[in-house]
Amino acid sequence: MLKMHNVRKSFRTDTIETHALRDFSLEVKEGEFVSVTGPSGSGKTTFLNIAGLLETPTGGQYLLDSEDVSNLNDRQRSRLRNEKIGFIFQGFNLIPDLNLFDNIDVPLRYRGFNAKERRKRIEKVLEQVGLSARAKHLPAQLSGGQQQRVAIARALAGEPRFLLADEPTGNLDSLMARQVMELLEFINEWGTTIVMVTHDPELARRAHRNIQIVDGQVCDLRTLTEQPEAATA
Amino acid sequence: MIGYYISLALRSLRSTPILSALMVAAIAVGVGASMTVLTLNYMMSQNALEHKDDVLFAVQLDSWDVNKAYDNANEIPWQLTYKDAQALLRSDIPTHQVAMHRYGFTVELEDSAIRPYTADIRVTTRDFFSLFDVPFIYGGTWEKTADGSPMQVVVLSKATNEKLFSGENSVGKTVVLNSQPFTVIGVIDTWEPSPKIYDVNNSSFAEVESLFVPFGLHRKLEIYSWGNTNGWDSGEEGEGYEGFLQSESVWIQFWVELSDSEQKAGYESFLTAYIQGQKDQGRFERPLKFALSKPSEWLVLNEVLSDDNRVLGWVSLAFLLVCVINAVALLLAKFLRKAPEAGVRRALGASRNAIFTQHLIESSTIGILGGIAGILLAFMGISGIRYLAMGQLDTVARIDWVMVAAAIGLALIASLLAGLYPAWRISRTNPSIYLKTQ
Repeated sequence: MLKMHNVRKSFRTDTIETHALRDFSLEVKEGEFVSVTGPSGSGKTTFLNIAGLLETPTGGQYLLDSEDVSNLNDRQRSRLRNEKIGFIFQGFNLIPDLNLFDNIDVPLRYRGFNAKERRKRIEKVLEQVGLSARAKHLPAQLSGGQQQRVAIARALAGEPRFLLADEPTGNLDSLMARQVMELLEFINEWGTTIVMVTHDPELARRAHRNIQIVDGQVCDLRTLTEQPEAATA
Repeated sequence: MIGYYISLALRSLRSTPILSALMVAAIAVGVGASMTVLTLNYMMSQNALEHKDDVLFAVQLDSWDVNKAYDNANEIPWQLTYKDAQALLRSDIPTHQVAMHRYGFTVELEDSAIRPYTADIRVTTRDFFSLFDVPFIYGGTWEKTADGSPMQVVVLSKATNEKLFSGENSVGKTVVLNSQPFTVIGVIDTWEPSPKIYDVNNSSFAEVESLFVPFGLHRKLEIYSWGNTNGWDSGEEGEGYEGFLQSESVWIQFWVELSDSEQKAGYESFLTAYIQGQKDQGRFERPLKFALSKPSEWLVLNEVLSDDNRVLGWVSLAFLLVCVINAVALLLAKFLRKAPEAGVRRALGASRNAIFTQHLIESSTIGILGGIAGILLAFMGISGIRYLAMGQLDTVARIDWVMVAAAIGLALIASLLAGLYPAWRISRTNPSIYLKTQ
């Protein structure tokens, strides 16, 4: 599904060059649920941005669905992002002056679906996240947990094969965090590949596999299926 | 997607009503001011005789003071002396020829409740109507004999006919002009050449006269000019009205219609011979000089659209530029405030081009609204000018559909120019910055 080989990403200012990722190599298989942890500034978000085609790597190779996407132009990357990738953010990132229906409609508009198809998909995902009755509400009228469920619905509406979550429960209390995590697990069971960046060790353990990033490199791989007691902890 | 972008633009404008109103106002004020000036310039630049531009000519003869050239662009008096006009009228070369000037009469009807009033009159030869393509509703022009001998006949304008005779066919009826009875022989239809090209000496944008009387009435009624009369020679032509007619004062406007170059060459030879003849008699002491100007040349020569108007046009466009720069600053502030939303859209599949187009359509929407408001302001500006000019600019101070379309176009161009940079800036921002920090 996702394969990075010796990916590098550096940011240059007038006086200093910062290496966010260095010889970063990773493979995520179809249907996996991978958690990514690491200290602040280790390169987790940079990895997620490159994986989500929001940034281009400085060097190395990135294969998404066996297609080399390292050097695509903006239009090609936008199309792939729209068709194959869903995003879930810590801050939900709903558009405040659009109601839930219109928020979920955004990626479907860029996909070019007709109105009937868009409505069908939006109603389906709203039902999946249990917010059908709130379709005309604005984000500000919802709790944090509900907003994150809308964000998940928006990510799912395009039926992506690959979901990228950046601290999806970071702004939620423990009860809501658990609900969101259960929703992600449910989505994963239906076949969507998920990569989730988190600081929460408990959530990290609930993934199939945890990747530690330190100083822009993968430093530890643990296959949680080999440690069933950790997965159920 | 265009429909989607327009709906987003309207939603965005509603979400920031004050900022949106400021941007619309910036465009509207710029468009309103520039359209007011450009409308006047555009209307002043019209040539009502464009369709006859190759065959009509205003005639000028240099009969002026040997010691000092006439003070205008081609240094030839705008008008002719009465005696020169009479001499030129004797030529049979032109297809049509008109000698004329502005005058005024007191107008009244016998046995009528209509109170006497003063009206502008054109004293002219009969060809005026055919040379300038003036349409008639009733009757027609007078016989050629009336150009040389006094015949008290009159042609009315449509408005005058409506005022005096309720618009009925008044041919054969009598109008009293300066206590003299005149028989109506024709009524012209609405005719509003703008600028009033046949008489740019006496206000280029005045209304067409209310009545037209024959050129042969001068001696009988001792008609002077109500327009410009310029003289340089206090010679010995005699006393009284006859002395005025024989003087070197210039006050007669003269036009000819010459259908082809051969006819024109013939007329030029005629004028040359005439001036030579006059020189032999001690007149026309300056070097032999005359001019035949087409309507388009006549408008330029007379500076109907003055340099001041042109400068004002450029100033108004510069003002529009200042408004556009203000709109750029406001749009930049608005768009960059919405950068996080653009970041989300990018993450959800919008390309840079899509973000750019979305924001350019938003600025175009502002431009269209600004254009509409600008047209309203231009209407107000034009109305103000009409009011201040007290009727002198009624024929040019008006907006036609061309100018309405031009205003919308100008507003669209202005808003697109204003929106290009802000839209480009927001489409180039790195979405990941806003996704993490929103």
